[in-house]
Amino acid sequence: MATPTASKPFMLLFRNTGPENHAHLSPEQRQQLVTHWNAWFNGLVADGRATEGQPLELETRVVSGAGGTRIVDGPFAEAKEAVGGFVKLLVADLAEATAIAQRHPGLAYGMIIEIREMTPNCHLGVDTLAGGA
Amino acid sequence: MPEAVEITDRGYTTGANSAAPAQFVEHFFRHETGRLHGALLRLLGVGNFALAEDVAQEAMLRALRTWAMGGVPANPSAWITQVAMNLGRDALRHQRMAGGKESAIITHLELGAPAAPAPAAAVDATHEIRDDALRLLFVCCHPSIAPDAQVVLALKVLCGFGTGEIARAFLSSEAAIEKQLTRTKQRIAAAGLAFDLPAGEDLAPRLDGVLAALYLLFNEGHKASAGDRLLREELSAEAIRLTSLVAAHPAGDTPPTHALLALMLLTAARFPSRVDAHGDLLRLDDQDRSKWDQALIGRGLVALAAAAQGNELSNYHLQAGIAAIHCTAGDAASTDWGRILAHYDELHRRQTSPIIALNRAVAVTHVHGPQAGLDTLAAIPDRDRLESHYLLHAVLGELNWRLGRHAAAAGNFRRALHLAQVGPEQTYLSRMLERSAQVSHGDGSEVAAPVDAQRSNSADSVEPGAESTPKG
Repeated sequence: MATPTASKPFMLLFRNTGPENHAHLSPEQRQQLVTHWNAWFNGLVADGRATEGQPLELETRVVSGAGGTRIVDGPFAEAKEAVGGFVKLLVADLAEATAIAQRHPGLAYGMIIEIREMTPNCHLGVDTLAGGA
Repeated sequence: MPEAVEITDRGYTTGANSAAPAQFVEHFFRHETGRLHGALLRLLGVGNFALAEDVAQEAMLRALRTWAMGGVPANPSAWITQVAMNLGRDALRHQRMAGGKESAIITHLELGAPAAPAPAAAVDATHEIRDDALRLLFVCCHPSIAPDAQVVLALKVLCGFGTGEIARAFLSSEAAIEKQLTRTKQRIAAAGLAFDLPAGEDLAPRLDGVLAALYLLFNEGHKASAGDRLLREELSAEAIRLTSLVAAHPAGDTPPTHALLALMLLTAARFPSRVDAHGDLLRLDDQDRSKWDQALIGRGLVALAAAAQGNELSNYHLQAGIAAIHCTAGDAASTDWGRILAHYDELHRRQTSPIIALNRAVAVTHVHGPQAGLDTLAAIPDRDRLESHYLLHAVLGELNWRLGRHAAAAGNFRRALHLAQVGPEQTYLSRMLERSAQVSHGDGSEVAAPVDAQRSNSADSVEPGAESTPKG
């Protein structure tokens, strides 16, 4: 994909996407939500501004403590805080990423979107902005 | 998660996977609701109705989340069915371990509830889904459930309408619909129904009940009610879908089924012309016949031909016959009212219904003139049951108008307007009243439209709808 050199990677993190948010919707409303949600993403893919996106399973395991001795299973007690999925964007700046997030159809059903710029460097030592890897 | 679904690569990446995901067919989630409930009831048994609903709900919410953030899979129906069946089997296992008691669910499992449909046998699976849907329809229309409750239950569990949508369609409250559904399901649980198609001697009476419920469902959509007209037309579309399902199944492939299907198709074909650009009702005479759906008329006539196989003549046959005469008339003037009257005579003979008697009087008017119509109305034996119905007064008004009795007509229309409950009917009657009240020098030569009443099987359960609003 042709990536404009001025673009920077951003991560949209979707929180509060659990089933309780959509339980009250009728089947027809659910279909509309999925359709609009996909249209939002596909539009961004079509103009090269979204590069990736995926849901995360609800099941969670949290490891902490020295040596990883503390392991907590299951969803977070505070389910709203859990990240339910993400989308990776390539856009000019935080303002553009924010504007994209603002148009998300899931917001009407309680979803919370956190917008984070990704640093240009990754573990492999590749400068992602230079179009490597 | 127990028994993870075998669909793993759910994410988007640019590159090879960047193609747009699959699109839903129209009403996918709604119709999937019925399919899932059918498959789950086969697995869990009718005694576990509430559990089946919970499992279907969870499967659907998983689908929503996954497909919203990961795209719609190529075969969404297979995906969601697999999730639901896995969840259903987990629930069974849970009950088995927790209980130890001889619960209905364990009995059902040990009787050898079938495993998930084999993906290879596509034809068998299609038949199984169809059979499950029909079984569910027979459960919804069980004689232990009141007719209106049957319709609401079918809309919820088989057609996948939300309680809010059902409430809007029936001008009821969501709480009232919820309450009714809860009672209905308790009744089903208490009745200990099998998830089976009736056979032998049981089949015919049970099929009659199913057809009656579908007829009621269709008429709910056909009513010219206030409320959400588009939503109501979807009720009629669902009735046609389910009746087609019954007609296509060996258990339901009978002349009355085809006649009912014909009646629905020939009536629905004329929906597009029922109202004008403002949503006001149009008399049959004033309708633009070019808007009638010729494809539906064609399907309706095919169904009517199928209904003619055999010797059976049901009320559906007669009503479908009347609808067919309207649909095949090139214009209002060439309508064969003699044949329509003959059909009404037979209906009237078979069934004591003041609504049928009223519609018959309209046909009499077309054949023998307004005075004969008035005489026929006066002779209806249980006419007092119609007194509180706006339709009687609307017809009286039209007949008096045509006989030049404008003051009497104005009185009739005023009474009709007072009794009419819904917007489009009130608008129509206001127009008629205005005409009657204003014109004292008119000659009454305006051609009146027929009451088009191919419905009205029972005055108690069926309210006349748009097209039977009348005129006459």
